Amino acid sequence: MNVEKKHFTCVICPLGCEIDVELQNGKVVSMEGNKCQKGEEFVSQELEEAMRILTTTVSIKGAKWAMLPVRTDKPIPKRLLSKVIEQLATIELHAPVRMYHVIVKGIAGTDANVVATRNMKKVNHPKNAKKDLISRKEG
Amino acid sequence: MDVEADVIVIGSGPAGLTAALHAHESGARNVLLLEREEELGGILKQCIHNGFGLEQFKKDYTGPEYAERLIEELEKTNVQCFLNTMVVSLSPDRTITAVSPEKGVFHIKSRSVVLAMGCRERPRSSINIPGTRPAGVYTAGVAQRFVNIDGYLPGKEVVILGSGDIGLIMARRLTLEGARVKGVYEIMDYPGGLKRNIVQCLNDFDIPLYLSHTVTEIQGKERVEGVVVSKVDQKMNSISGSEQSIPCDTLLLSVGLIPENELSKEAGVELTPITKGPVTTETMETRVPGIFSCGNVSTVFDLVDYVAETGMIAAGNAARFAAGDWKKGRNPVEIIPGENVRMLFPQRYSFKDDLILFVRSAKPIEKPVNIELSPLGMRLKRLYARPNEMIRFKVSRDKLKAVTGPIEVSITER
Ligand code: SF4
Repeated sequence: MNVEKKHFTCVICPLGCEIDVELQNGKVVSMEGNKCQKGEEFVSQELEEAMRILTTTVSIKGAKWAMLPVRTDKPIPKRLLSKVIEQLATIELHAPVRMYHVIVKGIAGTDANVVATRNMKKVNHPKNAKKDLISRKEG
Repeated sequence: MDVEADVIVIGSGPAGLTAALHAHESGARNVLLLEREEELGGILKQCIHNGFGLEQFKKDYTGPEYAERLIEELEKTNVQCFLNTMVVSLSPDRTITAVSPEKGVFHIKSRSVVLAMGCRERPRSSINIPGTRPAGVYTAGVAQRFVNIDGYLPGKEVVILGSGDIGLIMARRLTLEGARVKGVYEIMDYPGGLKRNIVQCLNDFDIPLYLSHTVTEIQGKERVEGVVVSKVDQKMNSISGSEQSIPCDTLLLSVGLIPENELSKEAGVELTPITKGPVTTETMETRVPGIFSCGNVSTVFDLVDYVAETGMIAAGNAARFAAGDWKKGRNPVEIIPGENVRMLFPQRYSFKDDLILFVRSAKPIEKPVNIELSPLGMRLKRLYARPNEMIRFKVSRDKLKAVTGPIEVSITER
């Protein structure tokens, strides 16, 4: 039999219960430390598929700043975070952009969209005209 | 006088935006918002992560969304915003000298003033790390700006000193952008940031957090080549023999924030070592009549919701003051920290409003606690008290009527 122990910190409320879980063949056989039912739901969701909102930036031309902040409009599987970041690194936007403008629909095969999280106007003398801007890939 | 105003708000971060909006809503006719940068929003613009406005708006906004929501509201009003405007002095009679590229040096006389300048990061010089002075040492907030606004990645191999929320958020951000964060080192024996940030920024990415550790040396000539970390004892002295060298090209400092009170001091506003911000009453009035203070310039809050709440209170009262609707009332009493209370805000009670009290515990207590207000005989129950989570609670004016002397607040195990 395959027995496994896992630890979680529930972040549903500020209490932040430390929850110890024992799994047998992937099934929960015991759970300890959660002070309410929500903790149990949190752990099952984490075990099934951890979901996170992704917030990051996309490069933008013709604006006051080099980067436009974006987010997924709903949580996406945690395992897809880096893949989405890589996909977004290939995109270049042009100002102006309105807040909640959809930048990528259904990102990485999910039903979440990547949307802008602010308005960004077009300016005549953009700051990102700098030549020495280090591209993210070169780091 | 070049300009006259009813209410002037200095700074347009979450506290200032909320204050300007609420001063208008409270009936102040001529509200002026001064911002030294070229855009409104303050630090919110670079805080691209979510978690803003959960209590205030029941929404999970990112910093920029939260700012835009307030800015859009503000645009519907006749509140005037002066951008690129740096306030260079504030006098006790509420005359402001400011400078901007368009207006040059100019003066504004205001009936009331709301201080909303926020806070700044503690720099390396305030924590005395020996070693060389190579490039590659940044405060977490500066790195945040580089990545989120300017599109620069500050380094590839990163060590973070201090577990404040910005440091934790940057650990995740840099990891997602392809840097390797080798660890977060915290001198205290408990984390500085919120629990949800420990989980979602460190645990999610297997970034180790080392408590009771600090950086004792920075190595490298031109660029950081590594740091030496050591364990510390209970007195926070490094334990010899525990040194460990960690190669890295970047060191981020997330070692605390300090309210930015240069202007307040100049206006004769009394500051307190308890918060490093102005002494205020529950109305947010400082000890200089007509000058109110809110948000992180008062005390460094954990949540933007609290910042906004104090902004609302300050603005409502500043509007009242400007309208001449401000009675002297009873003499304020002191609110003083008792057992196990490290920080408390506000520090005086003037019998005008309900008291919204913010308290920070001196040490973590993972057991049920009582927060006691003596001599009121009031006891509030909480399940725990942690220094990294401010406790907020409200005491109604009715309950405080009978008070004649100082109120002492303490946190004790139940
Ligand atoms: S288990 Fe319940 S009480 Fe504990 S942190 Fe989660 S939601 Fe809060």
